[in-house]
Amino acid sequence: MTDINIKKVSYLAKLKLNDEKATKYEKSLSEIINWVDNLKKLDTEGTKPLHNITEKNTNLREDTVKKNNSTEEILSNAPEKAQNFFRVPKVVE
Amino acid sequence: MLSIRELKKKLSEKKISVSELFDEFYKKAKDSQLNSFNYLIDPEKNKHLINESQLRYNNKKEELLDGIPLGIKDLFCTKGIPTTASSKILENFIPQYESFVTASLLNDGAIFLGKNNCDEFAMGSSNETSFFGPVINPWKDSNKTNENLVPGGSSGGSASAVAEGICVASIGTDTGGSIRQPASLCGVVGLKPTFGSCSRWGVVAFASSLDQAGPITNSVEDAAFILNSISGYDKNDSTSSDHKRDNYLENIDKKFDNKITVGIPSDYLKDVNSDIAEQIDLAKKHLAKLNINVIDVEFTTTEYALSTYYILAPAEASSNLARYDGIRYGYRAQGETLDDIYINTRTEGFGEEVTRRILIGTYVLSAGYYDAYYRKAQKVRRLIKEDFQRIYRDVDFILTPTAPNEAFKVGEKLDPITMYMNDIFTVPTSLAGLPAISIPSGLSKNNLPLGIQLIGNYFQEQSLIQLASLLEKELKFND
Amino acid sequence: MINDWEIVMGLEVHAQLKTESKLFSSSPNQFGSDPNNNVNYIDAGMPGMLPVMNSGCIDKAIKTGFALNFKINPYSVFERKNYFYADLPQGYQISQFEYPILTEGFVEIESENSLKKIRLERAHLEQDAGKSIHDIDPKYSFIDLNRVGTPLLEIVSYPDFSSADEVINYLTNLRQILMYIDVCDGNMQEGSLRADINLSVKKPNSKLGTRCEIKNMNSFKFIRQAIEYESKRQIEVLESGNKIEQNTLLFDTSTGETRPMRSKEFAHDYRYFPDPDLLPINISQDQIEKAKMKIGELPNQKLTKFIDDLGLEKDIAKIIISEKQYAEFFEGLISTKLIKAKTAASWLVGDIFSFIKDKNIQINEILNKSQKIIELLQLVEKGTISSKVGKDILIEVLEKNKDPGLLVKELGLEQVSDNEELEKIVDESLSGEEENIQKFQSGSDRVLGYFVGKCLKATKGKGNPKIISDLLIKKIKK
Ligand SMILES: [Mg+2]
Ligand SMILES: [Zn+2]
Repeated sequence: MTDINIKKVSYLAKLKLNDEKATKYEKSLSEIINWVDNLKKLDTEGTKPLHNITEKNTNLREDTVKKNNSTEEILSNAPEKAQNFFRVPKVVE
Repeated sequence: MLSIRELKKKLSEKKISVSELFDEFYKKAKDSQLNSFNYLIDPEKNKHLINESQLRYNNKKEELLDGIPLGIKDLFCTKGIPTTASSKILENFIPQYESFVTASLLNDGAIFLGKNNCDEFAMGSSNETSFFGPVINPWKDSNKTNENLVPGGSSGGSASAVAEGICVASIGTDTGGSIRQPASLCGVVGLKPTFGSCSRWGVVAFASSLDQAGPITNSVEDAAFILNSISGYDKNDSTSSDHKRDNYLENIDKKFDNKITVGIPSDYLKDVNSDIAEQIDLAKKHLAKLNINVIDVEFTTTEYALSTYYILAPAEASSNLARYDGIRYGYRAQGETLDDIYINTRTEGFGEEVTRRILIGTYVLSAGYYDAYYRKAQKVRRLIKEDFQRIYRDVDFILTPTAPNEAFKVGEKLDPITMYMNDIFTVPTSLAGLPAISIPSGLSKNNLPLGIQLIGNYFQEQSLIQLASLLEKELKFND
Repeated sequence: MINDWEIVMGLEVHAQLKTESKLFSSSPNQFGSDPNNNVNYIDAGMPGMLPVMNSGCIDKAIKTGFALNFKINPYSVFERKNYFYADLPQGYQISQFEYPILTEGFVEIESENSLKKIRLERAHLEQDAGKSIHDIDPKYSFIDLNRVGTPLLEIVSYPDFSSADEVINYLTNLRQILMYIDVCDGNMQEGSLRADINLSVKKPNSKLGTRCEIKNMNSFKFIRQAIEYESKRQIEVLESGNKIEQNTLLFDTSTGETRPMRSKEFAHDYRYFPDPDLLPINISQDQIEKAKMKIGELPNQKLTKFIDDLGLEKDIAKIIISEKQYAEFFEGLISTKLIKAKTAASWLVGDIFSFIKDKNIQINEILNKSQKIIELLQLVEKGTISSKVGKDILIEVLEKNKDPGLLVKELGLEQVSDNEELEKIVDESLSGEEENIQKFQSGSDRVLGYFVGKCLKATKGKGNPKIISDLLIKKIKK
């Protein structure tokens, strides 16, 4: 079996699991992780990880400014906004 | 079902107006009971596009897809039109920008009927994870005609809508088989281009290193029409390829000048059911008739592809979906603190399968597991790519089944791993980034459509389409 | 060292790169705009938006590489650092982790009158986050994404610092260098340069202690306070037999104390992985050479040149090189070769600096007056006017943009060097001063000054003091 700390994983993902869900997902994740564990059979010693099929350089942009949108457009979908800011409950640092 | 070429002919010969054509499809889409659209665009909103298109026909200056009514998977951001990824978390999201792919289609005169239902954030193989409910496949099992079947997924709404004939074609996305598998289950054509062919700019991301847009159509030729429009270099997508695009319609009716070879991987066929095996035998026979060489090939990495995929795709997804936090757009749940808002928004906003994949992805990237899972999977991904390259030294194309089964009952497959197995034949191609097309090949014992998958080498879409078109004519599925 | 404790510190400095646009988007990289004005769909983390790398940032990183003696890596990779924060729209920061663009450099700093080498572990490119504003409303925070995506170069040192002085000397040097090579505007108040301080304490010859990280310091004064407070705190904890808890701290400027950032249920786990939206950066030798050409002189090279070639005194040369704009202003003055470097230097650090300080302006704001300043200094060097008169005219030039030559003529301020005229004045000054003359003759030098002053007063400051003094000596000795 795997050692999945489902509470930690859901904490990192900002998801809340009640006990029932936590048990359910822990079981499901364990099954999936056990299932993918067949990769361990494969010898990958000396194989370089493949980040992207396109193994080229990233393309570059000239350092110039383009403005194609307004502040209103940026804020148009905001659940809460005020004075051209996004608004959220007070953040305590 | 008329093809894009035939529809354009009718439009240019004034046998039908752009507006009449649009209304005909709009009405069918509105009346459809299969839930294949999340959103239909108010015809008023399309009026000026329809008028402009008609004007171009009047002036004999029509564009590639002028006046053709299309469905768009609800994963493409469309300016001023709701874009939800079939998720509660984007239920009310209206982009202020147009994706590269949909902008290309509009530029070529296409008119959008609306947004096709899909699995939530394209995660699923049956279109049952959609927040807006499952899509129904227009096909029925001949023995159980009152049973609703799934269209496959994640581009299930697109495949169902094209199969039902309520849009001429639809644009889907394919991450591990999301265009090809539903195309197979709905008896239509689905093409996933080479990774980097069609820009991902403006497509709601699932797994960035795998996502690729592509057409779902009634015919290979229609797919070539669409691909001509949507394939192109985009400097705003760093993974976009700048190779010169072919005209994919060019060789569509030609035979191959030189002798070509198709490889059939024996390891893919080991455990397939008799319906599926029959499709491959059938295809083999027709290839022989076309004087195409068929040989057996064998991969060494096939059994590792799904595992690799189910580490890499959720890992990327867990990060890609971190932006849905209820702060700047989309659904926001109540909460007293910022942290509460994050947690409640995401907990309430994501469905079960998306939650599962975020959790898997978070786990495989977390400290202590990264090397064992994520890095390991990236290494295996290279081995899978190399495995294909080895096979391509001997063959020009590879032929496989598209999916291991016919369309199944809505609500039937509840276990995730069983569901993941649907993509067993499509996932290796996705990991290797190769172009692949699914075409309908025949019917199962239950009279349900089945498809075969043709896989080409990198950026060889033109010859892949050529072969698919030749085979399509032999198989005569639509006749 | 307190009670035989040693402080060990390492620094992570975030330098905002001086570019037109952001690291991965074409929005303006600009401070002080209206809220959410420099934000596009990429910056706001909208669905489907993709990053495209700004080539200007690579050039700036290469230049920094040269200036800080780094190895410039031909292959580097952007990775995602995943965490949730209101200021972080994507839910991750694009940064570099396994393959940073620069590795293994060093900076030399002065420490207790000798040079000390501070080793640098790495420097990597990353995006800045936005800003939350907490003081507009008691119930809400407001989010401004203008800063999101601003290019940062994070320069990470080894734990080579042992005092606040060393830290400040390092930051001073670093800031100077980055400004010289035009990589960063160095404006610490605006947050263009911010330091995280990793601090631990240990007994001599023992291994490193547990460290705490003080985040986001951008003032030398507070850096000194924070280091003092935190090192004392750690020593007290250890001396009372307790353990230091590894923590991320904030420095509270109102109390002068450090305090832990909100404690977390689980430790941070950033889940770095290569960003699949971006491909690796490959830097060619050609690109490196091109960037190298654009570096220009570094502050240390200028210092050596000013002392060795121009003969400036070390203290004065140091002041001039302390800001790139000072050095450039100075070089502008002497580039005409019409005045001596020493003259230009002493007037610059003297009256010109006091003027800009008084008026609270930047030196660049008087750049257009360089030509007139040169004319004025020529008049002084030639003896046409006295330096006292020169000082008054300088103010007129700087404040009212007056022409020094005309001003001198108009007001008849030419220095009187005419012997006959001055002889008359000297004679007058001596009359009725028998007692003082005797004092001088018996060896009191101070009396000479008294007479010179008297003569200068009589000429309204225009008399040439050298000639006056020579005449006085001649007359009295006679
Ligand atoms: Mg840091
Ligand atoms: Zn940093």
